[in-house]
Amino acid sequence: MAAEKKRNFGTMVIWIVIIIAICWAFFPFYWAIITSFKPPGVILTKPSLIPFLQFKPTLFNWRTEYLARGREITAALINSVIISVGATLVAVSLGTIAGYGLARFRFHRWKNKDMTLWFLSQRFLPPMVTAIPFFILMKTFHLLDTRWALIMVNATFTMPFAVLIMRDAFKELPVELEESAWVDGASRFDAFLRIALPLAAPAIAVSAALCFAFSWNEFIFALILTYKKAQPVTVIIAGVEHTQGIQFWFVATRLLSAILPPAILVLTVQRYIVRGLTFGAVKG
Amino acid sequence: MAKKERIKYLFVGPGIIWVLIFTIFPLLYSLRLSFFHARLGRTQRFIWLENFGRAFADYRFWSVLEVTIFFVVCNVVLTVLLGLVLALLVSRPLRKPLRGQRVIRSLLAMPLFTAPIALGYLGLTIFHEEVGAVNTVLRALGMLNLPAWFSDPWLARLAISLVDIWQWTPFCFLVILAGLQSLPDTIYESAVLDTSSGWQMFRYITLPLLGPVLFTVTILRMVETLKILDIPFSMTSGGPGMATQTYSYYIYLTGLRNFNTGYASSLAYLLLAIMLPITFFFFRRLRQIYD
Repeated sequence: MAAEKKRNFGTMVIWIVIIIAICWAFFPFYWAIITSFKPPGVILTKPSLIPFLQFKPTLFNWRTEYLARGREITAALINSVIISVGATLVAVSLGTIAGYGLARFRFHRWKNKDMTLWFLSQRFLPPMVTAIPFFILMKTFHLLDTRWALIMVNATFTMPFAVLIMRDAFKELPVELEESAWVDGASRFDAFLRIALPLAAPAIAVSAALCFAFSWNEFIFALILTYKKAQPVTVIIAGVEHTQGIQFWFVATRLLSAILPPAILVLTVQRYIVRGLTFGAVKG
Repeated sequence: MAKKERIKYLFVGPGIIWVLIFTIFPLLYSLRLSFFHARLGRTQRFIWLENFGRAFADYRFWSVLEVTIFFVVCNVVLTVLLGLVLALLVSRPLRKPLRGQRVIRSLLAMPLFTAPIALGYLGLTIFHEEVGAVNTVLRALGMLNLPAWFSDPWLARLAISLVDIWQWTPFCFLVILAGLQSLPDTIYESAVLDTSSGWQMFRYITLPLLGPVLFTVTILRMVETLKILDIPFSMTSGGPGMATQTYSYYIYLTGLRNFNTGYASSLAYLLLAIMLPITFFFFRRLRQIYD
């Protein structure tokens, strides 16, 4: 009996801690959401935390952002989508075939593990080491302020995740299925395309979600390489603060527009995330 | 056989070439730049190691280095500790996993995938001295001298740290939890028979077994925090004064605002030199895992 009681008490403590943790994790989102529904006049005069009780929520900010000033944010969102999808396509395609190559073949002169580290190296460089060369490179090829520039940059940054996740995923697939296809006369590439690839679909989805989220959230290269036409959402949030101090209400609507797509997308995937984010160092 | 084997280069080739063009080439390019007196659009002059000497004599270099090291130490220690405590609470060896564990895990992962630049702006409104969330709560609790988050150097650093810790604790939590759950139950069973206390079990069984996982999160967090730029950029613009100007921020200002590309490249290489030993240990561990 006593043990049972102790156990229940323990469970309760755990739940209290979890609830505090979840509140802690969600408070900033909550703050952004209520700010976006506050009438602008109220924000700077009466600080408040509880809607309805302390202030009357209004759609005014959202309407101003998307209807009155609409073009800026929608153009930026479209840029963000095109850049992130483009970068994801490149990173995941290259990452998938490279991952397959690393999982299924043995390389001798340059060992597999060293080749894998070659793919990882990018994540361990300070981005500012490559920022200046990228800027000069894009300027030389007249790619400044184009989505192409950011697609290439983000594909480079996110490919390590795709390579690592796909390499692990293919390693876990039994090779026998492909072997029987080779016996039936399929080429290695055919076997990869028809058999391994469909089986690895869940891992591809996770890689894509991660690559998309990281491309979407990238800021400093977007700031350096775009100035008008190709600006993604992360850059235009910066535009709200200048003229009359911080305009809380637009900060809120814009940052919610910027934050939500990747966060929601990543909610849908669970497997491989830890493994992908630690480059295979921790399984889970 | 030979023909079948050759196809393997087609699989890894495109990726390797991509890395060569978009990582190694820029890396070498900036290495070259770091030996030049270079400004965008002007002729370059080879000056040997002068840029590096200039860095050591530059008080800004030491200031941004100090700020960055502060963030690395403070944020990494706190995120890993918080993540460890949370993970230990949730994991519960030898018992049924908590109901709704998957949902909890996904919910807590949300901060991880929010754009740091947006978080900085959000931080700006949360720590706003008059109508920010933090000071609103403090005022409600009866505090009279409300902290001036953005005009005091240490408070500004603290505010940035808090935002960064908020964002990355879930990462440490998820990774450490995955590590805990991959430990075999048998070790706990024998420990329970030995009637070890909870603390002893943690100190002598869990902690040593968790070592590699803690090593991994610590290194990954250190590498990422050494690059920290987005949050100070949007939240404080490096201020007050240079109190929150980080190393990457300084490189950005030098190379891409003032277009002093040669000096900025040498600064970037110095940062790389700091990161190299950390990366080296991590890569050595990864090589063992990848076998």
